[in-house]
Amino acid sequence: MSAEPIRAGSEYDPTSWPEAVQNPGFVGDTGEFAGLTEADVRGTAFIGRRPADGGHASVAGTLPYHTATKDPQAPIFHGPYEDRLEKILSRYPDRQAALLPALHLAHEIRGYLSPETQDEVAEKLQLPPAYVRGVATFYTMYNLAPVGKYLIQVCTNISCNLCGGDAVLEAFLKHTGTELGETSANGLWTVIEVECLGACGFPTAVQINEFYYENVRPESVPDVLARLT
Amino acid sequence: MAYPYRHPAETLVISEHFGNPEARTLKGWEALGGYKPMRTALGLDRAEVVNIVKASGLRGRGGAGFPTGMKWSFMPKKEAGKPHFLVCNADESEPGTFKDRELMRWTPHALIEGCVVGAYAINAEHAYIYVRGEFFEPAQVMARAIEEAYAAGYLGKNIMGSGVDIDITLHIGAGAYICGEETGLLNSLEGRRGEPRVKPPYPAIAGAFRYPTAVNNVESLIAAAHIVHHGADWYKQWGTEKSVGTKLFCVSGHVKRPGNYEVPLGFNFREFIYEVCGGTPSGKPIKAVIPGGSSVPILTADELDIGMDYESMAAAGTMLGCGSVIVMDSGTNVVKQVRRMVDFYAHESCGQCTPCREGTAWASKILKRVERGRGTPDDLDTLLDISDKMSGKTICVLSDAAAAPIVSSIQKFRDDYLALMDAGQLAGAGGR
Amino acid sequence: MAEPTPTPETVSVTVDGMTLDVPKGTRLLDACAQAGVDVPHYCYHPGMSAPAQCRMCLVEVEKSPKLIPACVGSVTDGMVVHTQSENALKAREGVLEFYLVNHPLDCPVCDQSGECKLQDYVSAEGPAMGRSREPKRVLGRDDFGGDVLFYADRCVMCTRCVRFMREVAQDERLTVVQRGSRAVIDTFYDEGLTGNIWADNIVDICPVGALVSKDFLHKARAWDLDRVPSVCPNCSMGCNIRLETRDDQVMRLKPRPNPEVNAHWMCDFGRLNYNWMNRVDRIEAPLVRDASGRHVPMSWADTLTRLAEALRGAGGGGGARAVVSPFESNEGMGALRRVMEAVGGGDGVFRCEQGEEVVLPGFPDLALRRDRAANVVGAELFGFGRTGRPDGKGGLESVGAHTGVLLVLGDELGDAPADFGANASLFVYVGQHLAPAARNAHFVLPATTFAEMEGTFTNIQRRVQRFWPAVRAPGMARPAWQILGVLLAGISEAGAPGTAADAFGTLGAVCPEFGQLAWADLGANGAVLPGVRELQEMGD
Repeated sequence: MSAEPIRAGSEYDPTSWPEAVQNPGFVGDTGEFAGLTEADVRGTAFIGRRPADGGHASVAGTLPYHTATKDPQAPIFHGPYEDRLEKILSRYPDRQAALLPALHLAHEIRGYLSPETQDEVAEKLQLPPAYVRGVATFYTMYNLAPVGKYLIQVCTNISCNLCGGDAVLEAFLKHTGTELGETSANGLWTVIEVECLGACGFPTAVQINEFYYENVRPESVPDVLARLT
Repeated sequence: MAYPYRHPAETLVISEHFGNPEARTLKGWEALGGYKPMRTALGLDRAEVVNIVKASGLRGRGGAGFPTGMKWSFMPKKEAGKPHFLVCNADESEPGTFKDRELMRWTPHALIEGCVVGAYAINAEHAYIYVRGEFFEPAQVMARAIEEAYAAGYLGKNIMGSGVDIDITLHIGAGAYICGEETGLLNSLEGRRGEPRVKPPYPAIAGAFRYPTAVNNVESLIAAAHIVHHGADWYKQWGTEKSVGTKLFCVSGHVKRPGNYEVPLGFNFREFIYEVCGGTPSGKPIKAVIPGGSSVPILTADELDIGMDYESMAAAGTMLGCGSVIVMDSGTNVVKQVRRMVDFYAHESCGQCTPCREGTAWASKILKRVERGRGTPDDLDTLLDISDKMSGKTICVLSDAAAAPIVSSIQKFRDDYLALMDAGQLAGAGGR
Repeated sequence: MAEPTPTPETVSVTVDGMTLDVPKGTRLLDACAQAGVDVPHYCYHPGMSAPAQCRMCLVEVEKSPKLIPACVGSVTDGMVVHTQSENALKAREGVLEFYLVNHPLDCPVCDQSGECKLQDYVSAEGPAMGRSREPKRVLGRDDFGGDVLFYADRCVMCTRCVRFMREVAQDERLTVVQRGSRAVIDTFYDEGLTGNIWADNIVDICPVGALVSKDFLHKARAWDLDRVPSVCPNCSMGCNIRLETRDDQVMRLKPRPNPEVNAHWMCDFGRLNYNWMNRVDRIEAPLVRDASGRHVPMSWADTLTRLAEALRGAGGGGGARAVVSPFESNEGMGALRRVMEAVGGGDGVFRCEQGEEVVLPGFPDLALRRDRAANVVGAELFGFGRTGRPDGKGGLESVGAHTGVLLVLGDELGDAPADFGANASLFVYVGQHLAPAARNAHFVLPATTFAEMEGTFTNIQRRVQRFWPAVRAPGMARPAWQILGVLLAGISEAGAPGTAADAFGTLGAVCPEFGQLAWADLGANGAVLPGVRELQEMGD
């Protein structure tokens, strides 16, 4: 048994997990599993809160909970984040492979990948900045410009579309008072259309920041928004 | 128990513990008999593991249906200084598919076992699980479970005293459907744009970081662990001769009880949709069904009396794919849905190959125009011709996938297209 | 890049009915080329990796269910290839139509028109009419920095430019940004290509008009250009080039493939340094200084007769001294050396501007060399010694004060003092431009530049490479080898050279290595002089 032990008493010690806010209904239809709470479905208690330093190296590239506030000026790869990057790097044969996790990390802190941020990541990983730009723009989850505090991504692909995805999108636009892709004046909301989220049995699937909201109907949109604020 | 509904006709092998939060934890999983398959596998010879899976006839559950054991047997002999890698494809993003998400969020330890069994079989010391970036929650569950497994000695050096070293690393994608294609996934894993590679060389020869690699779907690996534990014959009790075992089917669209169902391959499709999934919620008749994810040809309601297996689907001119059933009732605007699918492929094309990059975008533009009532019958001929020129001409099959719904919908629902054109003519929109 | 050394084993392949033997592992596209079939392609370039993404080179191979991209497929024994089968033609027509969906068809204002692979392939194999009725994507124009301008709408996304910067220049400043039909080539925001001296090669390899040269922008149409094989005169590397001219003006320099020297590439310093070839302040007639010190134009016959007489009289009076420009041909330098020997021998010097050496990382045999002139090695072989400073000036004091015969070939003497050669018993200036210092010359003879004559240079690898006349010589200017060769015939037993080949044939007399090379061996790619001699370059 030479596996690295999980540190006792750390943030991810199961005994120190916080109680999750429970709100059944936003994790989709639990069908015949009527007893399941939102926490049961999301696994909130099991997951706990992931530490900023990434925890065990094997999973250090996993996104922790999105930080509540984004600071485009905040240093990246500092403190626990530097540890995290080192752990990530230890899992691949070359530095380049850490590019996606490193961009996720920068994204997590700063909220979007500005040219300067891309340049910093490039320097850290010893990659050409243009290469980093090519990769950063290939993937849709990296925002290249600032977005609202809540990025609301509504699936309108076929399964959700058959069940009213377009109407849900309309409802989000209406209730947030924004145009598609634009950020509301109060800086809270950005609503965009997204391709299949892989929750097709729970239409309409909506991803708000990291969390999925499932079985969303136009009439439940105000509740979803109210819950966030 | 499949989730969130279950049906007596189901055969629960890999989805037995869906909906049970206890199964997530290491303790719960062990109590349910977990980590026994892994122990069994590590007690066998590596070649034996490959042979059992080969003998079971398990076919890859990610869509292509390539026999898993055969894929493993293509791995070369291990040479010094040349590591092997196992890569688990958890980039589930085919519209209509949501089985790997359930597998990961309810039974993360099952996937860890599957990865260890697979890695052991191909003599790899490192397995990467590539989870699509949107799957934040399943990835968190996986992360926690992996930490637990490391702490319990199920991962890392000298697993359970067997002398075998296997590491798992969770790798998170960043939003690109094409990374579900195995070589696109490998490029993405290496920190590149997720553009599929020209084959040959195949991943077994030059995969992750140019080393021999096997890429397997989540469901395949989990099933393989069960097979190694129970034996090939045990698995062969389900399914047909060439489509062995049980499979998770993801049902979405116009059905009363959408969700995941695990049934033996070869299950009657009509019975599945009407009995197991309860038919349409509106009570309207079914108009069309996509049997294997958005990339496969559409079936009409008359074509449902077939088995849900690889051969029967092929005989019906479509594919089992990854078992993602999308049901559309008679109120569906097929043209709109086809347009939406083609939009998706245009959005997700990596842009390397000309026929795909330009063809998907062009077809999407034509379909938008047709949807607005500004099409002409000529457009349908153009679409069919474009589809032909997109099929089989590119590095990967994304453009074939985009062509499939176009061609099958024009063949089977031509009247829907023509009706839009007539309506456009009446409204004075005309076909420019 | 260099192919793996072909095994002696050959395989038999049939291309469009023609069966031929090629080395095992030959690229299908190359096998087709050997059979005389040019398979259309965009993304493949022999100097870089093959991504097989344009899908333009699809051909049908018997027993293969799918069409095969000829750029990555390699031949196997007994392979039967059909490049013109219905399936292959249909697929390629399809690809071309896909390109035209968004291509702006702005050929009338596009610099690439006439040498554009999209034009060529569409006219050869494309559809008669595009069927697209949808609005086209419009992206506009972007300045990539350096000499490069990017017209995004014309781009076919072959990624040759990206791969050149990654694999050959190894300065990855270009990338594909975005994906799918939104994909576009770009630099890292405002970073651009400025500072990389190999960047203009991406203009050469761009198969369409997406990447164009600012220097050449709207200057000439491709079909109006005359193209002559030549050698870049701007450093001692001697990249093989084409001089592209219109109306006797050099319009641009383009690299010409030579696997031994420059592969497919050349640097921007050499490429863009051509305006001097178009200078109009040329000496157009032989000038002879009369008793009053005035230079009088005279016929070649009269001039050379007088000069021969003067030289015969000057023999033995302190010997000869010479200054030669390293831009002169081997033949001119050799003839000068022979003239010097005929009048008693003596020292000769050359001056050469120097700069930093810049290697092309992906093809390290190629570099912008320190010596910024084509024939430094030739000058040294013919016994001329380096003088002056690294800026190519100075070092003329002792020559300028020489009291015997003073010969200057090609050096413009821009920095020479006013009394340069004033004390020489006979001062002969053979050159292209009348320099103030040449006023003291007794004879001023108009010579051609390398662009106006036939001849050879010896590069840093001691490779002797031919160039051909690309523009007309002004007035009565003649190649130096001809002027000096005829003069030599007038003062010795030697015969006058009628051609550059004749002149080359006499070089063995002054430099034995040249005697072992035959003119016929030089061909279009040159030949290396036998023997190894340490290269002498001046220290910094």
